[in-house]
Formats: sequence, C-alpha cells, structure tokens
Amino acid sequence: MNRREFVKKAGLTAGISLASPYIMKNGLFARGAMSSAEHVVLVMFAGGVRQQESVLQRYLTESQGLTGSIYEGNIMYNLLNGQAPQDKIVYGLDPSVGPQGSLPIPAILSSSIQSQGILFPEVTAAGTGHYSGLVTLLTGSRSVTQGLRNRPRNPTIFEYARKHANLGATDVWMVGNRIGNSLPLLNYSDHPDYGVEYGANFMAPDITFGPEGEEHIKNAKSYHPEEDLGPANTMQNFLNRSFNRTGSDFGGVRNTEDEKYQLRLFFEEMFAKKASNTISHPPVVSNNDMRAVGYACEVLKWFKPKVTVVNLDSVDGCHANFTGYLRSLHRADHAVGHLWNTIQTQIPEMTDNTCLIVCPEHGRNLEPNSVLDENDWSAYDHSDLNATRIFSMVVGPGIDQNLVVGSESNPIGDISDIVLTMAEVLGVKSQVIQSGLTSSSQSLLDRI
Amino acid sequence: MQIFNPIYLLTGILSILLFTSSCQKDDPIVYEVNPQDILSPTAGKIKEKSPEQFVAVLHANLFGTPISVNDQVEVERLLRSTGDKRLTWELIVSSYMNDPNVQLPDNLIIQQDLDGFIVETYSRFYFRPPSQIELEWWRNYLTNNPNVSTELVYLAFATSDEYFFY
Repeated sequence: MNRREFVKKAGLTAGISLASPYIMKNGLFARGAMSSAEHVVLVMFAGGVRQQESVLQRYLTESQGLTGSIYEGNIMYNLLNGQAPQDKIVYGLDPSVGPQGSLPIPAILSSSIQSQGILFPEVTAAGTGHYSGLVTLLTGSRSVTQGLRNRPRNPTIFEYARKHANLGATDVWMVGNRIGNSLPLLNYSDHPDYGVEYGANFMAPDITFGPEGEEHIKNAKSYHPEEDLGPANTMQNFLNRSFNRTGSDFGGVRNTEDEKYQLRLFFEEMFAKKASNTISHPPVVSNNDMRAVGYACEVLKWFKPKVTVVNLDSVDGCHANFTGYLRSLHRADHAVGHLWNTIQTQIPEMTDNTCLIVCPEHGRNLEPNSVLDENDWSAYDHSDLNATRIFSMVVGPGIDQNLVVGSESNPIGDISDIVLTMAEVLGVKSQVIQSGLTSSSQSLLDRI
Repeated sequence: MQIFNPIYLLTGILSILLFTSSCQKDDPIVYEVNPQDILSPTAGKIKEKSPEQFVAVLHANLFGTPISVNDQVEVERLLRSTGDKRLTWELIVSSYMNDPNVQLPDNLIIQQDLDGFIVETYSRFYFRPPSQIELEWWRNYLTNNPNVSTELVYLAFATSDEYFFY
C-alpha cells in the first residue's frame, strides 16, 4: 500500500467510525430519519396519572365501579384521540346553573397531539415515587437512590445539552409549578464531570412572580448596563478576587453578564405583563400547573430555549379527591394543548422546529384507598405495579404522525428513554450514551 | 628533594584556617518580636450564611432595623424559586435600594472622607477593616471614577462572595 492509498483508507475508516453511531440496523441514517427540530420541550405530566383514566379512556368504569359505555371516554382530547364521556361529567367548568364541572373545556388543538405524532401507550416507569420518577425523566438513569433534598447523582439532560452542544444557561430552562418536593434541585446534578457549570435556569413562577416576587424584586432598579452595572461589576470582581472563595451551592446557576441583563429585562416584562393581565396563560387558568405553563410560554417567546422542561403535578390531588384528580387531568391536557398551540402559532423561530415530549413520572394504583370525595368516589395512591404503568407521546417535525407503538399487552418504551430521545433531537445522543451514566441506550424513536 | 616546601606549607595552613572559619555559624539574632502566622484578613470566614441569615444582615445593613420574620421567609422562598440565585439576590438588593427608607451615605462623603467611607463600608458589610492593599485599591478606584455613587459601592459589597460568609 502506497502512502496515498493509506491516507485514503485511513480517512474512510475514520469517517465510518464517526458516522457509525448514527447508522441504524436497517442501514438508514438515524438522525436524518428522525426529528429535524432544533428545540425540545418536555412536559413532566402531571403528578401520577393512572393509565385507566388517561390513555385507556375508561373514565369512571375502572375506578368507581360504574358500568356502561356512557361512563367511558376521553377527557384529554388535546393529547389523545377519542370521544368524551357522555354522563357524569364533573371535570369541566362550573356552569352558572347546573352541576359543578359539567361544562368540558373546549379543545384548543384542531387535531390531537396523538394524531400529529407518536403515542407510546404502555411505557414502564422507574418506580412509584414522584422524585425518583422526575429524576429518571431528567437523567435517564434508573439508579436513583438519593432522597429528597439531594440533587440528582447523574447528569441531567440540561447538563448533557449544555456540555456537549455548547449551550448557554438561558438556552436551557426548567419551569416548575412550585418549590416543594425538591423540585428546584432538579436543574443540575452534583456529578463531578457536569454539575452547576452546565445547569439550567429554573423558575417557579407562582413564587418568582407571586407575592414573594411582588414584595421583594418587582421594584428592583433598572441599572444601566454600562454606566451603573459596569462599575458595580468591577468593584464586585475586586472584592471577589480578594476573598477568593465561593459558596458551595448558594449561587446556583451562573449566567453571563449579557444573559443576566436579558433575565432582568424578562423579569421586568413579566411583572408588567402580570399587571396588565397579558401573560400567555391558557384560556382557562385555575391552578398553578396552568400558570406555570403560561409563564413557560413567556420563557419560550423571550429566550427560544433549546431545552425546556415544564413540571405539572396538580393531578396528585388524587390521594384524597378523585373528582379533583379528573379536573386536574382535564386541565393539564388543556395546558399542554395551549403550550403546543403557542409554539406553533406565536413563536416563529420554534414553529415546525420543536419536538414536544409528554410523559408522566409514574402512574397510580389499581386499587383505591379508603378516602371518599364529595361524589363518594374513591381516591388512589401510587405504590403498586399499576403505578409503574405510564404512557408517552412525541411530536415534532420529521416524526411519524398518528402512529401508536405498543399496547396494553405489549409494553414498549421505558421512562429512562426520554433523556436519550431529547438528546437525539439535540444531536448529542452518542455523547450521552458514551458517558455510561444512563440506564437506557435507546431513545423512544429507536423503539419504533 | 625538598619535602617541606614553605610555599606549599603556607598555602595548606591558610586553606585549613579559611575552611574552619567559614563553617562557623552566626548566633541567631533575636529582634524581640512575637512570632505571628500571616493570614489573609478573610481567612476566618469559612462558614456560609443561610439565606435567612444574610437577608437579615442585609436588612440591618441597609435599613438599620431588623427584618420581619414574614419577609425573611418570603426572601428564602424567592431565592429557592430561581436557578440563578445571585441574580435574584442582586434584584432583591437593588429593590431595597429603591425603598425610601434605605440608609445610604451622601455621595459627597467620597470626596470629603474617602478613607473613612471605605473603612466604614468594610466594617458595615464585612465586619473587618480593609487591608492596606484593599484601601489603596479603593482610594485609587473611587478617585479615578468620581461618578461612582455610594449606592453602587453598597451594591457591590452586598452582592460579593465575602458577604455570604462569616
């Protein structure tokens, strides 16, 4: 072999080895065959959802002992195909005259997300706890042994995206509906190779722009970025150099000065929009899940993030109130419909350029507990095998439409696939797999 | 053959004298100063304040009054509700700067009593005097930047790393 041949063959070999992670078994190039989106939005839906009332559309027949098709039907018609139940409607709005909740909220989307994308109706959750489920959704790792008040041990999708796709802090966002259950700890892990340096911006709008924000940051001065903040930063840098020590975790995620300036403007805008009642909330706003989605839409409009995660959890009221659970489920569907509609109609940079993934962190029990609500309906906890049954949905450009993968008798997909699905959209799947820190080596799209 | 050449003999004796004298050690000089470990003026600050602690201290620093328990809890919740807590803290500080009750020194003090202002600011925020190097830097910076206000100086101190430690 002469030198020219050697160089040619070496180059070919290197090219094949670089491309091999993207070549599927059937010879197609995986990245070209899947989503061409540049943005990905994950909705962690919505605090423990039973398969029976969601994807199986059994409404009251597999929970409250009612029989007959009039008590079956779909109460999530922005997400799923299917007709609504005909009787005992309690999940809607309260009419001025008539039973409470008897007016279903009108659909936002003209065609459901199921018909626009792929439904995985039977997916396996990592466990039956909220925090372990959320951690697995965000890290792709089932090895969750830490409890509340601890950051994830393995890197989150935010960290993978920032490190391997070279993204800034304002390119990755987590919008929480509250600050309980250690939710604010999920924006980065304490993994030594990733961590705070690659963390996401986080906000819980009900607090940030709620009474606490109104009282303590709404009136923040608008300092001039050069005339005021320039000298302030110079002085602060001198003081910090003299001290040369930083806090362990207090500071949280660090944005650049440019990003901080944008965040200040965003905060000002949010308080102004709140005062004028023009936050991009869903048409019906009746719980903090829906307000969180409204502010998430504002984040999307302002920052056009590459990665956005929104947490919803009002459904968890099912521990004590089944009627309230149905109402929350119906509203969570309404909120996700609004989110997808906003992306497709109000944010040109993200329209036809965004992949949306919806996945509960776990399900709920097959058998009820002993708590009865105002309709004498039984409530449900989450601790048995039924609570490890969840569904997932993926929609976006380049993704198959109206496709159902798996069934009740043929589960396909695992909750730990979600991180790799997001990583695939972002073009960092091979780096995430190579980290060796995820439980799955497949995205949901590989399971088709 | 001459065995004892006087020149060799003299050279040898001188070498021995020189060698032995050079090996003698001087007695240590004692200046009667107590031995001291040299530490940074911030070396003792190794513990982080909790959010409740530093907002209480901030309120006292800026308003001269204790913060209410309700406000303390609200600030702690507010800090937990955002990812970039430094930015949120900066917004809290700058919001307090907008409060009509905030106690800021008049900007004229920088011209009238520069050293006094610097020493008082270190004492107010850091509970220590400035080192000579720090004093020199501030003298130089505030003299060369006459438009810098006492408010901006307080903002820099209240959002600096050392402020979060005790």
